[in-house]
Amino acid sequence: MEKLLSIPFLIFMPLVVSMFVISPLFTKNEIVVRRFSKSVFGFHFLYSILMLAFFDPANPYTSQIHFFGLDWVQSVGIKFAFRIDNISMILVMLTSFVFLLSSFASKFNIRANHKFYYSMLFLLESAILGIFTSADMFVFFLFWELELIPAYFLIGGKWKGIEVKPTNISASGGGKWKGSETEDEEKRAQNSAIKFVLFTFSGSMVMLLGILLLHYYNFISNGILSASFTDINASRIPEYIQNIIAVCLLIGFGVKLPIIPLHTWLPDAHTNAPTPVSMILAGILLKTGAYGIFRFNYETLPDAFITIAPILAIFAIINIIYTAFVAYAQTDIKRIVAYSSISNMGLILLGLCAINRIGLSASVFHMVAHALVTCGLFMVAGIVYLRCKTRDINTLSGIAVVMPRLFGFATVIVLASIGIPAFAPFVSEILTILGAMQADFSDVLKFVSVFSLPLLIISSCYMLKFLHKSFFGELPAEFEKVNDITVHEFIVLASVLAGLIIFGIFPGTLLGMVG
Amino acid sequence: MLNDIFNILLPQISLAGFIILQLVLSMVLSPRLYRYARLISVLGISLSIILLSTVQTEPQYFAFKNSIMSDSYTLLFDFLILVCGFLVALLTRQHIKTIKGNAYTFQAILLCAIFGAMNVISANDFLTLFVLIELLSFSTYFLIASAKGYHSKEAAFKYLLTSAVSTGVFLFGVSYLYGITGSINLSQIYEIVMSQPPSIMYSISAIMIVLGVISKLAVFPFANWVIDVYKGTETSVLAFLSTIPKLAIFGILCRLLVFPLSNSFELTYAVAIIALITALWANTYAVKESNVKVILACSASANSSYVLLAACLVSVYNLSTVIFYLMCYVLMNIAAFAFLNICSDKHDMNAESFKGIFYNNHGLTGAYAFSIIALAGFPITSGFIAKIYLFTAIASSGLRFIPFLLALLILTVVALFYYLKILLPLFERCDKNTEVPVLTPVFSQKFVLVVTTAITLIIGIYPEKIIELCRFIAYNI
Repeated sequence: MEKLLSIPFLIFMPLVVSMFVISPLFTKNEIVVRRFSKSVFGFHFLYSILMLAFFDPANPYTSQIHFFGLDWVQSVGIKFAFRIDNISMILVMLTSFVFLLSSFASKFNIRANHKFYYSMLFLLESAILGIFTSADMFVFFLFWELELIPAYFLIGGKWKGIEVKPTNISASGGGKWKGSETEDEEKRAQNSAIKFVLFTFSGSMVMLLGILLLHYYNFISNGILSASFTDINASRIPEYIQNIIAVCLLIGFGVKLPIIPLHTWLPDAHTNAPTPVSMILAGILLKTGAYGIFRFNYETLPDAFITIAPILAIFAIINIIYTAFVAYAQTDIKRIVAYSSISNMGLILLGLCAINRIGLSASVFHMVAHALVTCGLFMVAGIVYLRCKTRDINTLSGIAVVMPRLFGFATVIVLASIGIPAFAPFVSEILTILGAMQADFSDVLKFVSVFSLPLLIISSCYMLKFLHKSFFGELPAEFEKVNDITVHEFIVLASVLAGLIIFGIFPGTLLGMVG
Repeated sequence: MLNDIFNILLPQISLAGFIILQLVLSMVLSPRLYRYARLISVLGISLSIILLSTVQTEPQYFAFKNSIMSDSYTLLFDFLILVCGFLVALLTRQHIKTIKGNAYTFQAILLCAIFGAMNVISANDFLTLFVLIELLSFSTYFLIASAKGYHSKEAAFKYLLTSAVSTGVFLFGVSYLYGITGSINLSQIYEIVMSQPPSIMYSISAIMIVLGVISKLAVFPFANWVIDVYKGTETSVLAFLSTIPKLAIFGILCRLLVFPLSNSFELTYAVAIIALITALWANTYAVKESNVKVILACSASANSSYVLLAACLVSVYNLSTVIFYLMCYVLMNIAAFAFLNICSDKHDMNAESFKGIFYNNHGLTGAYAFSIIALAGFPITSGFIAKIYLFTAIASSGLRFIPFLLALLILTVVALFYYLKILLPLFERCDKNTEVPVLTPVFSQKFVLVVTTAITLIIGIYPEKIIELCRFIAYNI
């Protein structure tokens, strides 16, 4: 059985499927495309579960399936190598799961260019899995760049269709799109896609400089021409160069994460992308930044990270508090969720900066918890928008009456997101506080970071405001005919909820893997 | 003498034979038979490629009293130039159709330019080098001016004027160098220079020579010709202009930098600064442009500056990256111009006018988009590998040049912006009233596009063998 499992298959299966879906050989029938894609995502999820079943968290590198390597460019020492350790395994599972969810969510949100859409979705999955599993810096960078192409098309693409044929839409409330409105929206989406690409690309260019320097100085100080993470021994690299490298890399990851001054692409991209894409962006794509900081700064350049961590912790705290206030000022549901994502990513960063086991497990745990929460919230926002044609919480009101099931789910997910016990985010928030308390910070910073976390109470303010304003109150006449959630949407929300509860009640399952 | 010809010059001599053949035919044949001109060029270039196998490279061979040399380095560049020439000659079909009467003359000049470019690489003294660079340049002026209309003449004249100035600068530098060393032979100059301590006169002459040579690459002090020339020139000539002179000039520049001019630290810094300014100028200029040709002109200029930075930090490793980058770059560029050549009769070259063209011509536009993505340096293309490989070379040249590298990397982002400007309209759906043309390429145009794109993809996936070849060549220089 174990022989059937291979990393190349895990990573490149979506890539091959993506080529297949976009090729003219494949049918143009959108229902077939959709069902085929869903089943492939499902199969991929099962495959990653199977991988998890044969994964030994205690010694991840002993098993055959956890490494795959191939000489690629020997002259530079680039190996086309992949490796799965505990954190990679968790994130691979998460990626596979979120893509499955988003393929379910795509049914009503995507109305045109199905072949292209699903092909890009598969390509993005491949790229992200490549980021999470690569064992070589340049391969990591390759996938980091490759991810931009599908992400651009997914955010800025025209998925709503120029003409909506009512017969093709089985969604409730579909077919009401007005041409000009759609065009306007598409223009905005395209602009934010360009913004996203330019931001990330500039970050990644600075990151490339860091990678090049790391590669070169590793070569002159250790004599190994290699770019693989295991061969890089930073301890002999002069300290000031380590710091330069670390800052370069942090700028690259900081754009993705995002760390506060580099965050401006995020609210636009998340708001203007279609719902399933927002789920992927917030759920997985932001985690690639956190993963990069872990893999490069935390693991590969530990000395420099100890120097930088307190400064980074200040940025993390600014992330948490500042964006929470900004989120409170928003009126668009998706923008609220987007800013709350930045706030939560600050939490993940703070966990990493603590440089201890508790902080690390807290931050990995929060990656999972936040991915689930944010998927659920974006799904809720998408459902509301699809039916009411607005995401403005001042316009919305009283829709709990017509959508009781959605209301139930939304309430529970919102409560989970503000850190109510028995849900996953609660665990990671507590653990982050513990991690920060044990960290090697100065007393003032410790004080601030520990007390910044109760400030997460602000998150309950904006989340409850959203819940209160849109679901309670008088029901205007225009919303009287909207329908409740359909089966597909129910599946997505229910699985998100199941994940939140399982990890909230049995956090040990995940924490055991990180430790 | 005859021995020399048989040992290293057979490809060039056969090409010269075809030039004379074309010239004779231009007088004899009727303009109605213009079609065969291209065929004869293609045949001539193919024959030269075959004859390259007769060239003696091991050990280095010096001919004509040391004025021409041949080794594996020159052989590789000759091969690249001939391959580019082959692809360019295939693309000239439409162009010679419009200038029927001059078709044979045009092809003769094209072969002349290729002949000049091949010999520039092999030149071993400054006099030969000067004559051959002028042969290449004069052929280029005529090629640019060959198209009908006012713009092409203007472009050619501008190029002529800029080149004349830069030639003066080049000769000035050579005269200084002659004054210092008493020789114009590259090998002798190298020996004399290495035995002396570095002097400021030497640095000045080296900078002058390099400035004179690189003006053909559209870099900073002599850069502004590139915009007008690209705007006014026919696409197949552009495919020539953006590849073959570049290969020839970089080929000889690297040899100059490795041998006679390697003893000057000031030169390295001067060239690095020139490269930086060029990158800054080219990348920012293109942002506000909407003409695809102009954007590609700026991209050509910017790419030259990246290669120049790697080339001026002389080392064997850098040399191998430069060769590899040039190889990948010329193929991507020819692919892009092949597509423009296919659409040239249906489009003005405004980026917006390509709107929605993807939906009627999937394969062709896909290949074009792929080559643009490669130029921007995204993965699974040779452009990505080439950029990474080139940047590893610059990064390994010491901390002093890290700011230069950082600046280039940031400018790459600006470059992405204007590449997106070319790319995005291709996939934009246009409203029903506008008619999207269906392209009808002939076999040769499709062939060029497909072959160059395929090689770009293959090198992007498996670059090892080509990189090994480049390293072998670089270590043998």
